[in-house]
Amino acid sequence: MDYRLRIDNTDFPVEVEVNEDLQLNVMIGEKKYIVDYTVISDFCIHMAVDNGIRSGNINAFTAYGAYGKNVVINGRSYMVQDIDSLAQAVRKGRQPNLPNEITPPMPAVVVSIPVSIGDLVNKGQAVIVVSAMKMETTLCAPFDGTVVRINAGINDKVVPGQILVEIEKDG
Amino acid sequence: MFKKILVANRGEIALRVIRTCQEMGIACVAVYSDADRKALHTLCADQAIYLGVSEPAKSYLDIEKIIATAKNADADAIHPGYGFLSENAGLARRCEQEGLVFIGPPSRVIQDLGDKTIARKIMRDGGVPIIPGMGCAESLLEILTDEAGRIGYPVLVKAAAGGGGKGMRVVHEENELADACRQAAGEAAAAFGNGEIYLEKYLKRSRHIEFQILADSLGNIVHLLERECSIQRRHQKVIEETPSTVVTPDLRTAMGQSAVDAARASGYVNAGTVEFLLDEDGKYYFLEVNTRLQVEHPITEMITGIDIVQQQIRIAAGEPLGFTQADVKGRGHAIECRIYGEDPENGFMPSPGKITYLQEPSGPGIRNDCGIYSGFDVPVEYDPILSKLIVWAADRNHAIARMKNALSKYVILGIKTPVAFLMDVLASEPFQEGKTYTDFITTHFEGWRQKTDEADLAVLAYIIDEIARPRSPQAHITGTTGPATPWQTIGNWRL
Repeated sequence: MDYRLRIDNTDFPVEVEVNEDLQLNVMIGEKKYIVDYTVISDFCIHMAVDNGIRSGNINAFTAYGAYGKNVVINGRSYMVQDIDSLAQAVRKGRQPNLPNEITPPMPAVVVSIPVSIGDLVNKGQAVIVVSAMKMETTLCAPFDGTVVRINAGINDKVVPGQILVEIEKDG
Repeated sequence: MFKKILVANRGEIALRVIRTCQEMGIACVAVYSDADRKALHTLCADQAIYLGVSEPAKSYLDIEKIIATAKNADADAIHPGYGFLSENAGLARRCEQEGLVFIGPPSRVIQDLGDKTIARKIMRDGGVPIIPGMGCAESLLEILTDEAGRIGYPVLVKAAAGGGGKGMRVVHEENELADACRQAAGEAAAAFGNGEIYLEKYLKRSRHIEFQILADSLGNIVHLLERECSIQRRHQKVIEETPSTVVTPDLRTAMGQSAVDAARASGYVNAGTVEFLLDEDGKYYFLEVNTRLQVEHPITEMITGIDIVQQQIRIAAGEPLGFTQADVKGRGHAIECRIYGEDPENGFMPSPGKITYLQEPSGPGIRNDCGIYSGFDVPVEYDPILSKLIVWAADRNHAIARMKNALSKYVILGIKTPVAFLMDVLASEPFQEGKTYTDFITTHFEGWRQKTDEADLAVLAYIIDEIARPRSPQAHITGTTGPATPWQTIGNWRL
């Protein structure tokens, strides 16, 4: 089995061979790993990893999140993404990860909308202010244009991916 | 003693107060908003009463609702926790009028100490050293410019009603002063409903050292030693420890006496914290008094063995302090790390959402005051603190090692937390050497990124999780609402 995984902008090409029950031979790039594993619970996997240089017992905790699989090992948290299913998701229109969209960076509540439909806005101009956990974030126009739609109201709960204000590019 | 206490707060601090009430055999009433129907404090109190919608102004900040709820529930006293109404003289005053006991200082004391310029005057008159600066608030730029020149740059523009770093600006040169004053006043007006500002000397390379005080209604005042809280982001504390690496026994005696003087000068009753800045020459200056329980109070509890919440309740009930200054002894070293729901790789931006899995560290000398559980949805409406992890050990090196190990065993899946960041701070040379100044994070950890030397292990875990527990690709992307059904979690099996 082959996977193409991504952690924080680094890609990991992976080849997996099921060696015997509960043991895998894994190639990550050029590095070879022999892994014995036990599934402890829905969220916990115990692994004994040997790659010639490093060997030892690891407890890994995993759960699916909005952007991939969240893995926690030794206090460090990783968002592991499958590049192929990521591409599929974007094709199907989920998770629009485009910088030109005005969408909150985290779940938040709308505090104010200093623009109206039809307003001309300049790149960098504040178009909506959201608040999460007592911290306010101002979302700005990504380019010069005209406000054509406002899809949220004051005090609305909004989530990443939701387009709050739509702006039509000038020209 | 009280029969029933209403806890006018939420999250980990409400739980902290509830625990002591239950240990003392006092019934406790929790209050909750829509967002907190399934919050731990709502579930763990003896009784929980609905306050209103999630918006703080219509629930946890609504004084009349809190008062009416306390009276309906037949509570004798209200504990405000920290944040929300804890430093609101209005709640204390309404309690006084309604025959309820406010577990905190008298309303007049909260009001005096809440205004920084009045607090500075009280301290100056009481012989407590204050930071050189102005005696009253000012709005005229010419006067502010003159004062800044007299104090000497760099100066700090501060909001008279300030707190939590809001309405604060450092000004290095005269031409930056006008803008900084305007911004600080605007921010203060928005945050506190009071745009008054004044100027203070800005102390470079200073440390934040605070003293816990307890004052009973009979005039007995003690301090419970110091806490060093210099590791801050956005002027909010992240790591606290006691004792401080730089406070010598003589300095401790002097600062402790100043803290007691500050309490006496302001007519203080109940638990409070006197904050000081300590400069490189070992000179200290009064910063402010926090007229409430502090987030970091547990480290003091760990080294002194004194339950501060229990003392607050006893003092509020009119009991005398059962011990004197000579009885207060610090033993060992304690450190607290604040676990916020936030992303340290992205400017510490808030990260609310559902906790899919939680595993708390435990072991000798480890205490986790925690307000979350697996499956809990961390609300967007409130402060991002999830838990406070506290360790105690015989000395500082052991405490650091214990904290690093405890953090590495702390598993929170579903939202971002600073656990890995905190591990790196604790492991860093300047922290280990005790070189902890208030600019620590900006100096040593600006633009911090998590180490990736174990990313290959995360890849292996991903693969095993895929092979052992294949799920539909749909669930990979959208598995954010509600708990997974058995059909998603049952894994691979054949009939």
